[in-house]
Amino acid sequence: MKLAGKTALVTGGSRGIGRAIVWALAQEGARVAFVYRSDSEAAEQLVKDLELDQRESMAIQADVSEADSAERVVQQVQEAWEQIDILVNNAGIVRDGLLATMDTEQWQQVIDTNLGSVYHFSRAVTRPMMSQRHGRIINISSVASHFGNPGQANYAASKGGIEGMTRCLAAELGRRGITVNAVAPGFIETDMTEEIRNVAEKEIIKHVSCRRLGRPEDIAHATAFLASDEASYITGHVLVIDGGLTLGGL
Amino acid sequence: MPTHEEILGQVQGILVEALGADEDEVTPGATLVSDLGAESIDFLDIVFNLEKEFDIKIPRGELFPENLAAEGDGLAVDGVVTEEGLTKLREKLPFADIEAFAADPQVANIQDLFTVDMLVNFVSDKLGNGE
Repeated sequence: MKLAGKTALVTGGSRGIGRAIVWALAQEGARVAFVYRSDSEAAEQLVKDLELDQRESMAIQADVSEADSAERVVQQVQEAWEQIDILVNNAGIVRDGLLATMDTEQWQQVIDTNLGSVYHFSRAVTRPMMSQRHGRIINISSVASHFGNPGQANYAASKGGIEGMTRCLAAELGRRGITVNAVAPGFIETDMTEEIRNVAEKEIIKHVSCRRLGRPEDIAHATAFLASDEASYITGHVLVIDGGLTLGGL
Repeated sequence: MPTHEEILGQVQGILVEALGADEDEVTPGATLVSDLGAESIDFLDIVFNLEKEFDIKIPRGELFPENLAAEGDGLAVDGVVTEEGLTKLREKLPFADIEAFAADPQVANIQDLFTVDMLVNFVSDKLGNGE
């Protein structure tokens, strides 16, 4: 097991890609705390499922867009497990709409949740990770920041921001044994993409070299690798996991 | 209450760890940046470690204030710290050796006010030794 003895914190962990990441980190031996916003049923179920599998986890309710939440959550994890080795900033939402008609709330909610949370949580773990001289921060971006998808200016901006922040933080913290990377998923089968899958799945798959949509596990396994000691020389990198979607071939 | 020597020993330990410096380099007069190679992230690390080691709180900017002598606000002219600037430095850095710096007050050398001794005196004061 790659992560035996490690402690991880995952934001947006009760569903979709976040849930798969929680699961994968736990399977590799880490104790995993995860933050969820509203779906307490899914969060409790995940803790139970992991318990049945002899894995230790903890669900914490919080609004990740609030600065105080990050401090509180990190403190709670440290009180319970004394350390934080891995942070996965996964929490994300979409509020799609053309920019010309996008209201401020649509813009701000996405920026605060997707980008603001990365700032709040990364900041909150910096101190314990610097003291430990060890840490892994993995930010979940999206290939949407590389494309020009109409209707996703807010989402693309938030994810592009994450990638820039990833490089800066990697440069700041490398000397302390802390690596910072991003994972940019392509089209993954989750609740978030359900609406568009229902209308355009076949068309999308034509553009994916691997000729299938991604699964949450595809992202989770790569995240678990970046969280491991084996990835100690990888930092400031954005790993695109999209089955070849952004290669541009047909 | 730890003695000055004891605090010096603990501060030296922190700097050896934070900066990867050799023990014999970390003399009381050593400057953090020029002699020991500290970078901005190291200042943060040093603050964290001093807080932990001595169980003290160091508000942001108290130990390592920023923008110590910006041009345009009368504190420095043509790269040289003015009298007014020196007065401000004495206020902001009460534990630094401003008098030695005042002999040749180049803004470029201002970071050399941060010495091992300055840290020891700062901690000593925080622990109440100065009262």
